[in-house]
Amino acid sequence: MGLLNPGNLIYGLGLALLVLIYLRSRARPTIDVSSLILFETAPAPVAKSRLLRLDLLFWLEALTLGALTLALAGLYVRRAVPVGLHRSHALVFDLGAGMSAVDGGVARLDVAKKEALEIVDDAPAGDDFSVISYAVEAETRRAHSRNKSEVRGAIAALAPAAVAVRPAALRAAIIDARGAATIDLFADRPPPTGLVDEARPDRRVNFHQVGGPADNLAIVTLDPGVPRGSEGRCVVRNFSMRPQQCELRIEAGGREVFHSPLILEPRAQMIVPFGPLAAGGLVHARILTSDALAADNDRYALAPSIVQARTLVMSPEPEVRDDLARVVLAVNPNFLVTAVDPALFVRSKAAAQRYDLAVLHDCDDRGVRAAAKLFVFPEPRLDGAAPAPLLPVTGTAALAEFQSRTDDAPLTAPVVLGPARLVQLPGWMDPLARGTNAGGHDSFPLAATGRNAGGEVGVITFDIRNHLLLDPDRMDALVLTIDTLRTMLVPPDLKVVPTGRSVPVSVFGQATLVKPDGSRDVLPPDPWGRVHFRPLEAGRYFVVAGPRMIEVDANYYDAAESDLALIPPPPLPHATPRAGNAPVYREVRIAPATMLLILLALLFILAESALIVRQASRWGLRHV
Amino acid sequence: MLETRAFEPEFIQRLDNLVLGVTRARTIRAGRRNVGRIQGGGIEVENFRQYAEGDDLRFLDWSAFARLDHLAIRTFRADRQVELTVMIDASASMAVPEGDDKLGLALALGAGLAYIGMSENDPVRLAAFARRRDGRMLETTPFHRRRESYPGFRDFVTGIRCGGETRLAAAVGELLLERRQAGIVVIISDFLVNPGDYEDALAQLLAAHHEVKVVHVMGDREAVGAYPPPGAYRARDCETGEMREVMIGAREAEASRQRVELHANRLCDFCTRRGISYARAFGASKLDAVVAQEFPRLGVIT
Repeated sequence: MGLLNPGNLIYGLGLALLVLIYLRSRARPTIDVSSLILFETAPAPVAKSRLLRLDLLFWLEALTLGALTLALAGLYVRRAVPVGLHRSHALVFDLGAGMSAVDGGVARLDVAKKEALEIVDDAPAGDDFSVISYAVEAETRRAHSRNKSEVRGAIAALAPAAVAVRPAALRAAIIDARGAATIDLFADRPPPTGLVDEARPDRRVNFHQVGGPADNLAIVTLDPGVPRGSEGRCVVRNFSMRPQQCELRIEAGGREVFHSPLILEPRAQMIVPFGPLAAGGLVHARILTSDALAADNDRYALAPSIVQARTLVMSPEPEVRDDLARVVLAVNPNFLVTAVDPALFVRSKAAAQRYDLAVLHDCDDRGVRAAAKLFVFPEPRLDGAAPAPLLPVTGTAALAEFQSRTDDAPLTAPVVLGPARLVQLPGWMDPLARGTNAGGHDSFPLAATGRNAGGEVGVITFDIRNHLLLDPDRMDALVLTIDTLRTMLVPPDLKVVPTGRSVPVSVFGQATLVKPDGSRDVLPPDPWGRVHFRPLEAGRYFVVAGPRMIEVDANYYDAAESDLALIPPPPLPHATPRAGNAPVYREVRIAPATMLLILLALLFILAESALIVRQASRWGLRHV
Repeated sequence: MLETRAFEPEFIQRLDNLVLGVTRARTIRAGRRNVGRIQGGGIEVENFRQYAEGDDLRFLDWSAFARLDHLAIRTFRADRQVELTVMIDASASMAVPEGDDKLGLALALGAGLAYIGMSENDPVRLAAFARRRDGRMLETTPFHRRRESYPGFRDFVTGIRCGGETRLAAAVGELLLERRQAGIVVIISDFLVNPGDYEDALAQLLAAHHEVKVVHVMGDREAVGAYPPPGAYRARDCETGEMREVMIGAREAEASRQRVELHANRLCDFCTRRGISYARAFGASKLDAVVAQEFPRLGVIT
């Protein structure tokens, strides 16, 4: 329906106006007669004369108007048309990490491609094919093409992504494909029960399972620990039903810190300690033994720096300064923390120093010189105060509730935090968590980080007085604070991110992305000088912007996607139904109903005309 | 407008030789006691009849008795004037259908009758009746006796405008309030009122011993059911404002014509039963024919 289109709306109103004029013209004229005595025997009309007469003629005209309006508005209908010689096929491919698993030296996606190409080759000329893929989201690679070479090209261009398949993406792909007569779904595991039925109620989806149970090992997590402080840990998981042997190597700063063969019990995981590391920096763990799925055999982590960084903690409350200092030291024990009251800061010696990190609670920055500034419960700007604050406070929430992390599902139960400041985030900052006022629905950011030309900036909008960060019932607030600090303390030229999520990189200009396979993409900057990309492969990416090069390491692990052992074996190959006894498919097509509506309108007009002519002949009139 | 024809020489010339016959009021039988209202007889003997008991002996023809030994009574033509009042309907219905000029026809006929009535120097006046906004029902001219004063009617005839309800009985009642001697009253109207109204009016005139003549006027199209043209209408009575939705077709046009005919026949029957002269003037285009064919019905003689 296009009635929300202003043009169509005007058409509709114009038609209505014409009909009103017509109806008005049909209203009978008033004439003066010398006496009604002469017309006592004249019959009353069929209906009383009114501006609007609800007689058969009116309803015919109303139906005509309705049909014309719907025709102009673009009404469409879904019709199930029998498929004749030419059928429409939809080839739907799972591009999740599981499809990159190798069985007998052949990737599962390659098997799926081969089967799909056989379908394309066997199809008679004239059949059209749609190629649809899904992983994080559904994407139509080729829509309704009868050119088989194009279809083959689209199939050949498919590549697996090191991400877990989202059920919503599968549902969207099926919905995109349900106009086709046949849907062939290629995946390494059966889709969730009911999901296909929900998207395709007639259940006519030909599922092609490629691959079966396979042995896979994965690095679940990699914790580098604190250099020179604590050991790091690497968790390796065996998804196989059998014991597996593997060789694990861990490197830090290009130097091997761990290398050992491991034997893992069936469907068990092993925690491998290593270190402590001698220095901070990038840590890379790798399973050298080959297994079915390679994407989860590498993992990167960032060890905190061992440099004695100076940190300033400033708060009007002594207990808050103490809590923040504890948190900062927990993130990196090598920090030298200076805690000071903001009222005394300007006159103290601390004001003359430069800091690597400043944590400012309920105060402005007071001219603090720091590479990274974290504002906690930022102070509202007083009227007339100058300069304008970096993070303008627009209001205060009396009782904030922690609702969700940006990159995670909403919390099971909201965490009551206390008062919070409503901050208008600049465009170069990304929220890390959101919350609402208690009982309210409007969410606002609870934590955010970003980088501008002056350095890293972070904000935590809720108040942490009364030892909120140490409250065991509100551990989420502490975790959020630590994560915010860690995000801010990441070196500007190194990031470790999960695959499948959008990664912003502040380069303040156009950049070139070098992918793990060596291919390059040009990334345009947004208004705040950041470029965004979504890593779909595990491995190292490089964002090159002039002389500057930022390394982005993408990790993949998903317990469900990597678990190849629980995949049921594929069913026995079934015989392809011959054309002679093939079921008669009906293809659902969306077709505009314009011609049908216009025909209906003409029929209504003809019926009305016949009615008028009949009445005219009955009354012996030359006009009505 | 047709009323101006009443003052055209050609039209008047056609009326010059016509006389309005008086069948009732002009002749009296002087000598009978029951005609005492008419005082004084004429000098022209009209007839003789046999003496009957109670006759006035002064009118006994003694010479005939002497010669024939037979008692005979002489009757005389009354030596008196008969007032002629021509009442013309000026209600709103006389203007409908527009173009049929019913009022013009009525005025032309009324003026013509007035001219004819002045042939014997009888006092003649014109009256227009309709219920005006100020409540007046009747508007009359002064009496004119001589044909030389006939142009005196021109201003009245050309100045009448249609409007208001007919109210014939009320207009007659107002006329009778003048308590003038009985004369001739000619009513020219379309009579598109409730029959009871015109029957009441005519009965009142007869009761007052007037000689009544009726000229029934209708428009050209109205008379043949050609108005309004076929179609669906909201018909509004021009006098009462009453509305009615009608669908006019060939059948309905015929029914309307028959309705006119029925209405005219009913009026004619009533007049016939009461000794009232009735003439039809259906169509302004037929003015000359009406004068030639219908005026004799009113007692107009050459």
